[in-house]
Amino acid sequence: MAEFSLPANSKVGTGTAHPAPAGAKKPKTFKIYRWNPDDKQNPRVDSYTIDLADCAPMVLDALIKIKNEIDPTLTFRRSCREGVCGSCAMNIDGTNTLACTKPIEEVDGDVAIYPLPHMPVIKDLVPDLTMAYTQLRAIEPWLKSESPPPDRERPQSQEERAKLDGMWECILCFCCTTSCPSYWWNGDRYLGPAILLQAYRWIADSRDEATGERLDALEDPFRLYRCHTIMNCTKTCPKGLNPAKAIAEIKKLMVARR
Amino acid sequence: MNRVDTDVLILGAGGAGLFAALHAKKADPTLDVTIAVKGLLGKCGCTRMVQGGYNVALAPGDSVERHFMDTIEGGSWLNHQDLAWMLVSTAPARVRELENELGCFFDRNPDGTVHQKAFAGQTFDRTVHKGDLTGIEIVNRLAEQVWARDVRRLEEHRALAFIKTRAGDRLAGVLLADMRSGGFTLVRARAVLLATGGGPTMYRYHTPSGDKACDGMAMALRAGLALRDMEMVQFHPTGLLAGPDTRMTGTVLEEGLRGAGGWLTDRNGRRFMADYDTRGERATRDVVSRAIFAEIKRGVATPNGGVYLEMGHLGPDNVRRQFKGMVERCADCGFDLAGGRVEVIPTAHYMMGGVEFDTGCRTALAGLYAAGEDTGGVHGANRLGGNGVANSTVFGGIAGDAIARDLAGGGALAEPDEDALRAAVDAALAPFARPAGNIEAVREQLHDLMWEKVGIVRDAASLAAAGDALAALDATLDGIGVGGGRGFNLTWHDWLNLKNLVLVSRVIAAAASARENSRGAHWRSDFPRPGDLATSRYTRVTLDGPAIAVGTAPVVFSRVRPGESLVRGAAD
Repeated sequence: MAEFSLPANSKVGTGTAHPAPAGAKKPKTFKIYRWNPDDKQNPRVDSYTIDLADCAPMVLDALIKIKNEIDPTLTFRRSCREGVCGSCAMNIDGTNTLACTKPIEEVDGDVAIYPLPHMPVIKDLVPDLTMAYTQLRAIEPWLKSESPPPDRERPQSQEERAKLDGMWECILCFCCTTSCPSYWWNGDRYLGPAILLQAYRWIADSRDEATGERLDALEDPFRLYRCHTIMNCTKTCPKGLNPAKAIAEIKKLMVARR
Repeated sequence: MNRVDTDVLILGAGGAGLFAALHAKKADPTLDVTIAVKGLLGKCGCTRMVQGGYNVALAPGDSVERHFMDTIEGGSWLNHQDLAWMLVSTAPARVRELENELGCFFDRNPDGTVHQKAFAGQTFDRTVHKGDLTGIEIVNRLAEQVWARDVRRLEEHRALAFIKTRAGDRLAGVLLADMRSGGFTLVRARAVLLATGGGPTMYRYHTPSGDKACDGMAMALRAGLALRDMEMVQFHPTGLLAGPDTRMTGTVLEEGLRGAGGWLTDRNGRRFMADYDTRGERATRDVVSRAIFAEIKRGVATPNGGVYLEMGHLGPDNVRRQFKGMVERCADCGFDLAGGRVEVIPTAHYMMGGVEFDTGCRTALAGLYAAGEDTGGVHGANRLGGNGVANSTVFGGIAGDAIARDLAGGGALAEPDEDALRAAVDAALAPFARPAGNIEAVREQLHDLMWEKVGIVRDAASLAAAGDALAALDATLDGIGVGGGRGFNLTWHDWLNLKNLVLVSRVIAAAASARENSRGAHWRSDFPRPGDLATSRYTRVTLDGPAIAVGTAPVVFSRVRPGESLVRGAAD
């Protein structure tokens, strides 16, 4: 019989439970993934019960409260706290989203919080995004134009400009990419929805003159075609964008140019 | 300790830092450029959070002179005029660079040219924008360009101290903490750019990102540099008031809402801005913030203690289309901006003051350059909305050019003073030697103290009390320790952040005490008059050992004098 061994640190244990403060009016329990590379232990889930009557409404507010008042060793990323930077992307109640714009009230029962799935973890809720950024670099996400620039802006119609709506708003939080089963399996070769949305942003930009070259680079069984329209990406996007549609548009262009 | 040598070290990855890297590389592709940033490149800092847009004189009928006069009048004649001129006269080229070279795509007019919208305190509609979330477009495009080049990135590295040579005659390098591992890195560089951004997060309600802690200004002070105009802290009038505890409270609702015709009303639905300024809701930020403050004091505040921002009369569908990002942000907190009204309160937004620098971004310390919100002088006593991202990108580019030019003529690596290096490491590690304590209680006290005593309205007594209380807070902080290991220990960085914030708060209070008149963002209830414009002076603060030393220097009217204008027919 074949024997398998689990990858290192894949077995998650049960950690410390921090009980509700005395006299809590609205207790709510947060079950949070913890892992510290320095202590050589497997990951664990610690639980923290806080009083929502004494906590602001968003999950990020609760994380900051837990760090400040209960456990100063808890680590997570956060920057803008208004849904613009994507730093606090994590898996909350089974869905990838931004902690700063996710109301605690939307979660029934205990709030389970894990790092973005299938990414290496640096510590606790902090993922290592090196691979995702390397893939972004690979699609060469910048304006390519052979025509010399005019001495003012390149004129564009409002309709051409509007084609980029739904793409430029992407904050590169990678909630979509890390929700995609195809990316989980083939993340080393499949670009994933966030990067493909960015790729289409440049294909759709009428000022860009490298459309053919960009499509050539995506014409590959893995980079583009590992998308099997599972649609997790669009369902999970905290900014309400539609990466699946952008991928479909790229596939359409591939067919159209044959 | 890890040691790295580079030609150019850039601290910060907002509009200023990224632009500097691109310009330095463009001027000399052989330069070894390193960017050190407290978060992830492209994901932290405030340029990304820019909403409204970018002021630039592009349209027929507008002019650089007109933009300049708006900037000087808006700054109550305290601006360093050559710096302000550099801002407005370089902005047109910078916007074209953003569009044509970096690939930013701003909103368009029907004829295909860039659309410019109305902002407050300006005599022309000149604010270029991408919807109402302009910063995402600018920083994404800038970051991509930096990724495309051979630039070393030290992400999640915070700068701790400038290390000079033993002789003290020039900067040798910068001590950084690798936040992930908790280790230290010394980067020696031939030139260093300070572009960490300011960020008045010492106030209860504030707009900047959570990683902002005035680190750059504190490091500059400790290195002996002077900060000017530090009493000038801008309060943006329309911070979202979403409840007392939430981090969302204080996030800004953009100025274009007032520019487009939004109303400010009190508890009873009465518009009040006409009582304070003929420009009504479109008065400058300092004026509107003080008016809201006065209304609140008058006892007509809304249930959460602010005023209302109303947009419904402009048509909900129109508002939803024009201000999609703002409508969604309010919806995130359960408010209907498009059809209803939203409670707002002035929120600490920007620091006009900062390190003294020249039009080539050089500071008084050889080897150190500065750009962006870390610097002072461009905006004088009040910054116009839309001049912030213009400032960081204009001067970031200028810094990159100047550094490349200066390094072409020499500038070898220098040996750091090893004693100073050791002392800086010891200072950073000091909290680990003490029992862990309640750091957040210090932050709470700091927030309240600055909001109440060094806020929108100040007087001699409140400022003196604040000075004493801040010194006591600093001592309290020095007695509090941090537990756990050094690897990605947020609490350690909270301590370091607070140490910097308390120092810069003391500087703000000292500068505010020294200015015995009311200009721009600085309002003294005991000295409510602006004073004689023709003999204007600006404040300069330095550290004298542990003490704060305040001096003043005369404003040089190098281009225009009070009462004059560069715009024909405008002087009166």
